[in-house]
Amino acid sequence: MAWLKASRHGCWMLLAMLYAVLGSATMSLAQEPDVLLVANDGVETHHLTRDTTRAIFAMRQRTWPDGQAVRVFVLNNDHPVHGRFVKERLSVYPHQLQLAWDRVVFSGMGQAPNRVRDQQEMLERIAETPGALGYLEREYLDDRVQVISMD
Amino acid sequence: MIASKSYRWTDTRLGIMTILLLAVVGGSARAEDNVLDSLQLHGFLSQALILTDDNDFFGPSSRDDGSFKFTEIGANVSLRPHEDVLVAAQVLSRRAGGDGSEASPELDYGLIDYQIQSSQRRNFGIQVGRFKNPFGFYNQTRDVAFTRPSILLPQSIYFDRTRSLGLAGDGISLYHEERLQAGTVRTQVGFGRTRIEEDVDRTLGLDRFPGSLEADTSAIGQVRYEHDGGRIITALSAASANADYDSPGAIPGDGDFHFQPWVLSFQYNQEKWSLTAEYALRTLELKGFNSFPDKDKTGESWYVQYTRRFLDDWQWLVRYDSLVNDRNDRDGEAFEASGAGPAHSQFAKDVTLGLQWTPHPRLMLAGEYHNVDGTGWLPTQDNPDPTETSRYWNMVLFQLSLRF
Repeated sequence: MAWLKASRHGCWMLLAMLYAVLGSATMSLAQEPDVLLVANDGVETHHLTRDTTRAIFAMRQRTWPDGQAVRVFVLNNDHPVHGRFVKERLSVYPHQLQLAWDRVVFSGMGQAPNRVRDQQEMLERIAETPGALGYLEREYLDDRVQVISMD
Repeated sequence: MIASKSYRWTDTRLGIMTILLLAVVGGSARAEDNVLDSLQLHGFLSQALILTDDNDFFGPSSRDDGSFKFTEIGANVSLRPHEDVLVAAQVLSRRAGGDGSEASPELDYGLIDYQIQSSQRRNFGIQVGRFKNPFGFYNQTRDVAFTRPSILLPQSIYFDRTRSLGLAGDGISLYHEERLQAGTVRTQVGFGRTRIEEDVDRTLGLDRFPGSLEADTSAIGQVRYEHDGGRIITALSAASANADYDSPGAIPGDGDFHFQPWVLSFQYNQEKWSLTAEYALRTLELKGFNSFPDKDKTGESWYVQYTRRFLDDWQWLVRYDSLVNDRNDRDGEAFEASGAGPAHSQFAKDVTLGLQWTPHPRLMLAGEYHNVDGTGWLPTQDNPDPTETSRYWNMVLFQLSLRF
């Protein structure tokens, strides 16, 4: 019955690992606020799938699902919030996104996103630009913009 | 000569058409307020220094001072006059050896793109004008240094010899993106007239005759699958380019030219490294000429490339790249036995080591080393006599690139 003992041992190990993983996940959630997907208040779409969001940020899709033109705003590639948004919310790496922009801009398939210096400017530009889409840390939000939910 | 003139004329005509369209669209757009807000201008410039021990690549690279005759300059404009419409055009001036006459600016692309559908699940659109051919991973932006992993793209697939043929088409292109559970499928299909310039005549050995190749209808297509946000990318590209040879006399006589390349592409991406491989088969056919029998040849190309990013703005690369002109004569022995030229002109095996530094998003400095066995993709323009080429040769390149 050695195998049984071994598998029971394995079960405990697995549980312990699961606990550790869950624990660290909730801890990181508590420490780092999510970078939220944020749009101009006039936008009528309130939810985007991750794939659609990725296509919009890669500048391959030019309108919101309801037909309004989308204007994309991003921080510089080396901005930590850009890195976190791109990796955690879009599941791609900043260098891949940069390459995607260069490819569309220099092949006639699309345009480059609008660059902003910091989150304060991101907030202002999203608030004043119809169809704007960008991202912000929670503490930069105010009621002139809306959070778009994404799965 | 006649061909090059008529094609330059086509270029000019297309350029004028695009400018007119831009003007019309721009004019009608003034009714709306912020259309010109969407106007974007971008450009790039790159200059290389090329040094070789034997053989010349893009100019007199084997001389002491090397060759500076590899320059790429481009500028583009784009505008969104309507939420579903994009108008874009790019002018390119490229010198890769030669006497400089080929560096005159050309319309690289000029198109109107109408995105008919754009939902959470898919988008679908149509482009009319001169569009860039989606071929392998790099063809659409092959002249833009910032989109290349190395100064020279793997020459087995992206060589210069029949460059004009694969570059762009004048016609209609359709694109589609479908988001599935596991990943995204993207398709692009184009129909139109390819650009055929003197490079193709030269490569086929037709430049010694007074006639010229005239482009006929061609088709190109690519299906691309991106898994898990692009962690794994695979693509299959295929094209069928056709041209008619117009001969003023009985020699070589009128004939047909067909070019059918296939490329299978694969890439695996991680944060710090990427592994890329492509495999291509190229079928060339010359039929119906009086002065030589029909020719039918399939070439084979492939490469495997590893790129590694480090210290935020550095990247190094190692690549093995192989080209065979004729699958039925891999070592070129039969070619040499027939008296057509040296065996080593029928293949090329290239080991490349490269380094890129991007100290600023607008500036890139790069250097690379090639160790090559064979002259399969060596430009004929730089080495008119194949018997004077060396089989084993080395090349070092440096390049400075800017973009805005």
